[in-house]
Amino acid sequence: MEKASLQQIQIGDPLNRVEGQLKVTGKAKYAAEYNLSGVTFGVMVTSTIAKGRIKSMDTKLAKKAPGVLAVITHKNAPEVPGYKAAVNNEGARVYGQEFRLFYDDQIHHNYQPIALVVADTLARANEAASMVKVQYEQETHHTDISRNLDQAIQPARPEDYSRGEEDAYLTAPVKVVHEYHTPIQVHNPMETHATTAVWEADNKITVYNKTQATKISQQEIMKAFDLKEENVQAHSPFVGGAFGSSSRLWPQEMAAILGAKVVGRPVQVVLKRDQVFNMVGYRPPSRQKVGIGASAEGKLIGITHEGYGITSRYEQFTERMMDPTKSMYHCPNLNAKYRLVPLDMSTPCWTRGPGETSGSFALESAMDELAYALNMDPLSLRMKNYADKDPENELPWSSNYLKECYKQGAERFGWQKRNPTPRSMRSGEWQVGMGMASGIYKAVRDRAVARAKLLSDGSVLVQSAVADVGPGSATIFTQIAADVMGTSIEKTRFEWGDSSLPHAPGQFGSHTTASVGSAVYDVCTALKQKIQELAVNQKGSSLQGAQATNVVFENASIRLKNGTTSLTYSDFLQQQQLPSLEVIKESDGGPLLEKYSGKSFCANFVEVRVHSVTGEVRVQRVVSAVDAGKIMNHKTAQSQVYGAVVWGIGIALMEEGLIDHRYGRHVNNDLAEYHVPVHADVPDIEVILIDKEDPVIDPMGAKGIGEIPLVGFTAAIANAVYHATGQRIRNLPITPAKLIS
Amino acid sequence: MKNFQYVRPTQQQAALETLAQDDKAMFIAGGTNLIDLMKRNVVLPEKLVDINRLPLRKIEPTSKGVRIGALASNSEVAEHPLIREKFPLLSQALISGASAQLRNMATVGGNMMQRTRCYYFYDAALPCNKRQPGSGCGALQGINSKHAIFGFSDKCIAVHPSDMCVALVALEATVLVTGPKGERQVPFKDFHRLPGEHPERDTNLEKNELILAVDIPASSFTQNVHYLKVRERASYAFALVSVAAALDLDKGTIRNARLAMGGVAHKPWRLMEAEKALVGKPVSEETFQQTAALAMQGAKAFEHNAYKLKLAPNAITQALKTAAGLS
Amino acid sequence: MADEGKSEMTLPASDDHKKYNETRRTFLKQSSLLTAVALTPPGMLQIVELEEKVDEQFESVKVTLEINGETKELSVEPRETLLDLLRERLDLTGTKKGCDYGQCGACTVHVDGQRINACLAFVIMQEGKKITTIEGLSKGATLHPMQEAFMKHDGFQCGYCTPGQIMSAVACIQEGHANSKEEIREYMSGNLCRCGAYPNIVKAIEEVKNGGAKG
Repeated sequence: MEKASLQQIQIGDPLNRVEGQLKVTGKAKYAAEYNLSGVTFGVMVTSTIAKGRIKSMDTKLAKKAPGVLAVITHKNAPEVPGYKAAVNNEGARVYGQEFRLFYDDQIHHNYQPIALVVADTLARANEAASMVKVQYEQETHHTDISRNLDQAIQPARPEDYSRGEEDAYLTAPVKVVHEYHTPIQVHNPMETHATTAVWEADNKITVYNKTQATKISQQEIMKAFDLKEENVQAHSPFVGGAFGSSSRLWPQEMAAILGAKVVGRPVQVVLKRDQVFNMVGYRPPSRQKVGIGASAEGKLIGITHEGYGITSRYEQFTERMMDPTKSMYHCPNLNAKYRLVPLDMSTPCWTRGPGETSGSFALESAMDELAYALNMDPLSLRMKNYADKDPENELPWSSNYLKECYKQGAERFGWQKRNPTPRSMRSGEWQVGMGMASGIYKAVRDRAVARAKLLSDGSVLVQSAVADVGPGSATIFTQIAADVMGTSIEKTRFEWGDSSLPHAPGQFGSHTTASVGSAVYDVCTALKQKIQELAVNQKGSSLQGAQATNVVFENASIRLKNGTTSLTYSDFLQQQQLPSLEVIKESDGGPLLEKYSGKSFCANFVEVRVHSVTGEVRVQRVVSAVDAGKIMNHKTAQSQVYGAVVWGIGIALMEEGLIDHRYGRHVNNDLAEYHVPVHADVPDIEVILIDKEDPVIDPMGAKGIGEIPLVGFTAAIANAVYHATGQRIRNLPITPAKLIS
Repeated sequence: MKNFQYVRPTQQQAALETLAQDDKAMFIAGGTNLIDLMKRNVVLPEKLVDINRLPLRKIEPTSKGVRIGALASNSEVAEHPLIREKFPLLSQALISGASAQLRNMATVGGNMMQRTRCYYFYDAALPCNKRQPGSGCGALQGINSKHAIFGFSDKCIAVHPSDMCVALVALEATVLVTGPKGERQVPFKDFHRLPGEHPERDTNLEKNELILAVDIPASSFTQNVHYLKVRERASYAFALVSVAAALDLDKGTIRNARLAMGGVAHKPWRLMEAEKALVGKPVSEETFQQTAALAMQGAKAFEHNAYKLKLAPNAITQALKTAAGLS
Repeated sequence: MADEGKSEMTLPASDDHKKYNETRRTFLKQSSLLTAVALTPPGMLQIVELEEKVDEQFESVKVTLEINGETKELSVEPRETLLDLLRERLDLTGTKKGCDYGQCGACTVHVDGQRINACLAFVIMQEGKKITTIEGLSKGATLHPMQEAFMKHDGFQCGYCTPGQIMSAVACIQEGHANSKEEIREYMSGNLCRCGAYPNIVKAIEEVKNGGAKG
């Protein structure tokens, strides 16, 4: 018996990451780490005003600086055919005119790239970039959401939503209505945005790119430069974190491509940390108002939720801020309105739980406030208003184990021991508070294609263009393939992260497992079927004439259910006189999905300590109970929940992009002043994975897990802080400054 | 970053002379702040004189206390048995600052010479009198949540970012410097300056002077001490407000006290009036609250830092309570 | 300049280094206006190493250091950071650039056994020092126990902060600062992880501290 057979892998096993060794040894190559022969370095010069035009740009000194190969500005940039094409918003993910790099003299936002300096070393490019002198003609800018709410527009999409009577909460016996604010938050992945571009020929390009979507990257470059699909390759197997920020084409990609065109050598462009704050997306700030009314017994009567986000002047970036409100609770009357304030800023972009994270802060804080107004336990209030079907569209849930999340989460956390009275719990000088919140997030599936190959050594190779920016997708796809094929992990290989591989959607929106995982599952199933068909038709084979139902695939071989003789995959190929056997399969959810509402759910329980004198908040304990369908890998799934919780701690307690509106310029744009959580901020986190199959969305039974634990989490902290201190902070982040004032 | 000339003398005199040759020359030791500033084009030296080979790394007992060489790293000082035993306040302050990596690199002298973290100082696109005299103070009408409540001027409201210096000023350290005119001793409280009309000058170090060592006198502040650092993030963050508190107790009575604050002024903020007021008082929360109120006299806030008017006295009370073993 | 003869000048030693320095000073003031090669002192170009991809070194100076056990003689610009040297010239890209200002820890390496941020270290100031990067941590094919523990406990997601976390974690134990979860968290706080792998990193460090990773 093969040794490998001892290590038969199944879906769900807590397998170590397949790319783990590359990552712990420093051998995993990220976008700026290919050190290609002849590579040159591009550094962007960015604007220091928020609005106006470039009057003049003096690049003479920079051009003469040692090692400088080119200085590219709007005056001399190569033409980008796609920039001249008419705007087509049909199906576009963001409505409007995309930002056009080095296109004209207009300044749309601070930190707008206005020149690229390319030199033979990074240090020289950096120095020369500082020598470019710019004169501007400034115009009045507006960057403050609060002062420009009256300029808000109704975005082209989505439409306002309502059911039942408008503002019905006003008529309810018990009601709360409050405003909630969230600030700009910035993804700040550890790797800043980076691209190395190489023109292989006049009409053929390779980009080593930081992207969550190699196919989107490829298609957008094709469109911009009018190139054929086979002539654009986006290579992105390793991405140093993205969280939504690498899901469209950004200036550093365009700059590297244009730079490489000009200098005729590979160009590498890596953004500096300050440049990522207002150039390559951020979570827009929000201003929200939530009114909720309930009967004296706590049955919801009406919810009104109004929210404002911001966008740039040239595009309408919209979020799903209202989505949790629409579907979370059974509530007959609900109206939700979402507006955008266009400002002189770069376009925001999707940020982990885009919209849901900000929207759920308001909704789940308001629910907590309602619970106190009702003198009711916050968990009981939520359980009482559990929705049996999706109230947004009356569709049955594809699966819903939210009640299990509540039950198991509360038990593990010890919610019953909580004294409901605010300010009632203490540990020395620390006020102790316990809070909870619910979360809901779409669980959907997109079209994906996968290729599976049985190779002569009996191993299986599966390929997809999908990225793996950290969730562990490559590992679980290897695992799905091994499970379906009956192969060991050593004999199963998954290739990803390159646009030349079969189509995959972007790795965002928590739909990668359902989409690509299904394609992997389906293509391996198809490969097995093909093996079986060939094997049972093979004269002289021990399997000749066997029924499909009577065949078993395990230990990298095929055998009859009750038989003892088995045929290894490699012997099978030999028998068939095939060098390999390949199947490509496209997978899609199909019409069944439209008959159901697919969502993931969670219940978060948080204990905080607030120092009674200094106002410092420390998260002491977290229990996160998550219904994300069947879990593909318990180890990586748990890590996803950790990640969401750490994000929640950051957003709740410290993250805030600060702009001095006089200059329309970020001031805390580095990692010393824009705080993300450090080790010391993160306590033990208990993760409960309900791990029940969803029968609708995909054949593995999985739903998404990357975002759901973050939905509502910030409110759970705010609710805990209220319980600890009696202070309701409705304006994130919750800082000592706010708590002691 | 602009290129620069690099010289690495092994002797003090050579270091001083090399520096004096060039107006735009600077010393470099750990480099943790200087290199950062050079990368951002905030500081543009044409020559760097690397002093790391000078023999200024020792931490040794003296007849009066301890002498810490200017080149001793922040972690060496924090971990040194002598410092931990006799000057635990300094140890605590050092460990609360920066990260383990930065503490390995940063030196005592460099820590004293570090520049403010004011946003406007670091961004060459924004006005800052400290970076570019005469350009205006961006923070005065701007985002000033982290800024001074004591000792500011209309030219500058930045704060000094060091934790170590707050402990050193409380411990009445002396700075030994040398320069063209020879060696001199500078009391720690006089080492850093208030901004006044010249916020571009952080310290009273004269042109072409070199810090050699810091002397800390032996004291009875070895037991009842506490360095309290208040921050949003639990570690690796500059203080919103910090307090160095040291008490010499005779049973329930305060025999002597030392108190200083960080994050509130352009220099480490020694609270001598408050210290005096503590002497002879009983150890109690009430005593400490009165002291805190006294310490806050003259404090004034800007648009975004009014919270410090409450946080600072709270922190003083808390630090004293912890030092006294009341909490 | 009486004493300067005792200075350890890193510029090419010559009898008339005083004159040389003056030339260089003038040179620096003019350097932005002139091309590099014309005024580069004779002999400088020969210093260039094969592994360098730039063949004309502006303002280069010689430095010798040991990287992962190998002695390297290099010529560098004084402004070149250890991080950029490793990543852009020596193809040791395991050391990451996350912020370039000492604010994230992704570039953590060991210099003479101590963890530091390579982004805030000029190469020229590392003369004679022993540098260990993530690539030098494992002994041949055998991974360091910390690397094994990170894999076992899933101490990373995107992997970008990982080499820095591992280098820092190894030092954290060596320094004696891994005696409790709280202490580990405090002494590892100089290494940011945006994916939020912190709980698993702490587990990995605890395991190595308590006798190494198995399985």
